[in-house]
Amino acid sequence: MSLFKHIRQLNALQCLQAKRQYSPAALKSASLQYDKDPQPLFTDSETQRLLQSMTQLQLDKVFRQRTVPDNSSETKFMTTLQLEKQFVKTIEKAKHLLQMPPVVKIKQDTERIISKDPAMKDFATTKFVFTDITFGLRHSERKVVVRDVDGSLSYASLDTTKRMNQLYFPLEGRKSYTPRMFADEQLLQRCLDEHKYEFILDRLLVQYEPYETEFHNISARVYEHLNESKQFDLLRSTRHFGPMAFFYAWHSCIDDLLYDMIRNDYLHNAVELIALSYKIHQVPVDYKQTLSQLEQLQPTPAERAHAELLSCLKTKDELGIEQEIHQAIGKTEQDFTADELSLKFIEQYIGSEHSRKKVQLELALQTLKEVNLEKLQLYQGLKKAHGVQAS
Amino acid sequence: MSLSPASGIGRFYKHSAKIIRFVRQGCTNRPFYHIVVMERRKNQHQPVIEQVGSYDPMPNDNNERLVALNTERIRYWLGKGAHMSEPAAELLGISGLLPVHPRTYMTAWRNRKAAAEAEPVESAATA
Repeated sequence: MSLFKHIRQLNALQCLQAKRQYSPAALKSASLQYDKDPQPLFTDSETQRLLQSMTQLQLDKVFRQRTVPDNSSETKFMTTLQLEKQFVKTIEKAKHLLQMPPVVKIKQDTERIISKDPAMKDFATTKFVFTDITFGLRHSERKVVVRDVDGSLSYASLDTTKRMNQLYFPLEGRKSYTPRMFADEQLLQRCLDEHKYEFILDRLLVQYEPYETEFHNISARVYEHLNESKQFDLLRSTRHFGPMAFFYAWHSCIDDLLYDMIRNDYLHNAVELIALSYKIHQVPVDYKQTLSQLEQLQPTPAERAHAELLSCLKTKDELGIEQEIHQAIGKTEQDFTADELSLKFIEQYIGSEHSRKKVQLELALQTLKEVNLEKLQLYQGLKKAHGVQAS
Repeated sequence: MSLSPASGIGRFYKHSAKIIRFVRQGCTNRPFYHIVVMERRKNQHQPVIEQVGSYDPMPNDNNERLVALNTERIRYWLGKGAHMSEPAAELLGISGLLPVHPRTYMTAWRNRKAAAEAEPVESAATA
C-alpha cells in the first residue's frame, strides 16, 4: 500500500513538471500590454457608443450559419404587423449577440491567510481544498479555501478557485485543462496564419476570464497579427471588433484600421476611431461637435439594419423614384454632407503629428474623394433626369 | 447502489436523531464519500435526507484532496440539532467551519513524532 502511495506521489510530481513545460506561460507573451486599468475608459457610455457604431450591425453576418450541431431555421406565416414586431425583436437579439466582452486590467493574485495553526502541522500528507457549493451563488462569490499541510488556512489562489468552479459547476465549452491551441505555440501560430481570428477569440472568451493574464496575452497577439495581415473585415460586425479598436486606439496604432475604413468607405467609423483615440490620449482637439453633427445626419447601426429589414416589405412601386436612385448609388443627400464633414476631420488628423502613415492615408482619401465626386454628379444628374425636386 | 438526488428521498421522523456523516460511494480500492444528513439509526446505504457535500480522500494530480461542502445546509442542520460523526466533524474542523477537532491535533502530533523518530534512523542509515 505504501509503495502505491509512493508511486502516486512521484506521478503527481512528474505531472506537475510536465505541466510546467506545457503551460501557457511558455507562450511568447505579446509586446503590447495595458499599462493602467482600461476599464473606466472602456465602460464609459460615450466610448461604448463609439465602439458599437464602429462594430456596425450587418444582419447576415450576425445571423450567419455557424459550426454548431443545430443550424435549423423555422418558417412561419405572418401578417405584416407580426412581421414588423418580429423585426424589432430580431434587432434586439442581434444587439445582444454583439455585446462586447469587457476590457479590464489583469487581476493580481494575493495570498490571504485566514488562520495559522502550528499545532496542526503534518496533520495529513496532502493539502485539503474546500469548496462552498451553496446553491445559487455566482462563480465570483463562491468561497474556496485551502488547508495546507503546515496547518494554515487560506483563501485559494485564483487559479485553484477557477479549477474548483469548473469542477463542481462546469461551464459549457470550457475545458479543465489548457486547450492545446493555447498551450502550443505552433498550433496558435497556425490558427493565426489561417486568419481564424474569430475562432481564437471566441474560444479564448470561453476558456479564460477577461482579467486573466493569458486572456490579455493571447488577445493582444491576435490583434497584433490582425494589424499586420489587415483582414479587419473578418471581425467587423462581431463582438470582438470593439475591444480590437479599443486596443489599437490605446496603443496608438490606429492607422491601418483607419486606412481599411477609408478604403471601404466607412468614413463616419473612421471619424469615430480618431475621436476615440483623441479621447483616450486626451488630445486637445474638439471632436464632440463633429460627432454630434454626424450623429444627427446618420442613423445608428441598429436603426440602419431595421430600415433595411423594413424595406424588404415594400414592393418596387411603393418605394418611389427617390428611393430607387438612393439604392442605385448607395448614398443619400445626407450621406454626402456627412462625408464632407468627416473628410474635413480626417484630413485634420492626417495633417497632425498623431498619424504615422500619412502618405498612404492621403492617397486613399484622394481616391475616395474622386469616387465620391463622381457619385455626387451621377446623383444630381439622375435626380434632374427624373424631375425630382431638390429638397 | 443507486444514487438518490441531493435533495434526498429518505423519510424521517420530525424528532428523530439526525446525523451528518459520510456515505462510502466509489468502488473497491477507490473510496469516495458523500457527506449526507440522515437518521442516526439508519444504515449508510439507506436513502438519505439530504446530501450536503462530497469528499475525495485520494489526492489528485495537484496533490490535493477535494472537499465540497454546502455550508448553508450544514449550518441549517447543525442548528436543527443534528449530530456529527467523528470523521465528518474532523473534516468540518479542518475546513474552518467549526473549531478544529481534538483528534486532528492528536494525529498531527503523532505524525510529527513519528517523523522525528524516523529522521535519526535515516541519517544513521545514510552515514
